[in-house]
Amino acid sequence: MNDQVWRLLIDDEVTASFGLSADETLARRVGRGASPPTLRLYSYRSHCALVGRFQHLEQELHLDFCGQHGIAVNRRPTGGGAIIMGADQLGVALTVPGRERHAYGGARQLMARFSAGLSKALDHLGIDAPFRRRNDLEVGGRKIAGLGIYRDRSGGLLFHASLLVDLDVRLMMQVLRIPLAKIADKDIASVAARTRTVRSILGDDMSFDSVRDEVAEGYANAFGVELESAGWSGSEREAIAALERSKYDTREWIFQRTEVPDLVGAARVKTPGGLLEVRATLAGRQLKAVYLSGDFFVPEAAVADLEGSLRWHSSTPEAIRATLTPVYERWAEDLEALPLETLVDSVQRAAKQAQGPIEPESAPEPAAGVASDPYGCFVTPGTPHA
Amino acid sequence: MPTIAGFDFPRQRHYDAVNHFWARHDDESNLVSIGIDRLGLQALGELAYMALPAVGSRIARGDAMGTLEAAKMTTELVAPLSGVVIERNEALLRDPSAVNIDPYGAGWLVAVEPADWSGESGQLVSGPALDEWVAAEVDRYRVEGWID
Repeated sequence: MNDQVWRLLIDDEVTASFGLSADETLARRVGRGASPPTLRLYSYRSHCALVGRFQHLEQELHLDFCGQHGIAVNRRPTGGGAIIMGADQLGVALTVPGRERHAYGGARQLMARFSAGLSKALDHLGIDAPFRRRNDLEVGGRKIAGLGIYRDRSGGLLFHASLLVDLDVRLMMQVLRIPLAKIADKDIASVAARTRTVRSILGDDMSFDSVRDEVAEGYANAFGVELESAGWSGSEREAIAALERSKYDTREWIFQRTEVPDLVGAARVKTPGGLLEVRATLAGRQLKAVYLSGDFFVPEAAVADLEGSLRWHSSTPEAIRATLTPVYERWAEDLEALPLETLVDSVQRAAKQAQGPIEPESAPEPAAGVASDPYGCFVTPGTPHA
Repeated sequence: MPTIAGFDFPRQRHYDAVNHFWARHDDESNLVSIGIDRLGLQALGELAYMALPAVGSRIARGDAMGTLEAAKMTTELVAPLSGVVIERNEALLRDPSAVNIDPYGAGWLVAVEPADWSGESGQLVSGPALDEWVAAEVDRYRVEGWID
């Protein structure tokens, strides 16, 4: 195959260990020239839970629930957060040789470049999902695809994406540890409002295979390449099996721990619009996620936009302010009751509370009269806050 | 600290031209400290996580010796030289951002007893060649959009 031809490889119902081993193996082999550049579009056997390279399984997943329901758990070679994968989530693994002397190549630029095929596919379906932030594709501020990149020692690059064709939000909340007191219908609705799926936009009769076909075409167009369908070679299968045995099927890999502490902190403040509670989860000094709740009216989409902006983000006030300023410009009218500096200060205080003592802290008890549910809803104007 | 093309590159070190590691040889102890240079960090962004080789392990030039994560990109750390790891910076494992804050001081990664310093250091950039290399790299990074 020449440089303008990529292999298109379709896999369905793969196990977690096979899927991940296949992606890393391909990155290594493509980097060495032993395999052609490959666009792999696949699905995992329903369901599995995959954490990012350095996450703690115990912190991110309800392992008891996973064990009881046959949900495999594993660890990606790429970074980022925990996800569930199954028949309705399209796995995208693009493996290409890294360009010589591009050892680090800015992550943001790589994410933008390699997600272009997905954005193009979604655009062709009538879904506007440009790469706007550092690590996800979003529709109106709500995540529709998670992104990640792994650079192998061979120089090969693996671009990972998980595209939500559909999503069982209740199951996701039972598998992933999200800072919620309980899985109640309103909480499910609130979490669902923070993500978008292809079917939630285009309808339930949108088939997985037609989405996959669009993604293939999107990449072909975005990169000006021809895609040739082909399967695994014998030597690839052997290499994948070997890496499964030595890595992805081992407790040593799956349950490893990092010394970077997982921390949780919270802050509460009264604003002109009502009470604001900020809950921040951190990996060391870096914000992993910020959750906003309170008892005033702001559109869920604006909340999702704010929260999404601060995922995997620096915790310094300067960086937070710089990132949130354009969000406030987008939602100027809706966020009038929540001043920017108030939010910056609150996130800072939540982060500081988390980082204060070395051990992770539990969130402070809610003030009297405030719902104990830390993920209480912002709701759209006109509907009563539950 | 004097800069080259606007970035600090201490002159008493050797630099891996591809992977942007610095290496500093101590004549007295014969140990080599290894870290990531300022330009490499600029492209990576704020480090969130890091894995380093265990003390006592052997590393080989061109092979992986660890992994880091920044901005959801994970990348294998490719060793700039061969040897045995004598010490590793344990503090970084708890707070990798120290590398961004002080890459040439508190942000060192490992200290290695080199297998072949005189041979392998010749494959790194140092001395009079430093200015031209740094200037070219800064230009390249700007063209790629990794720095302003």
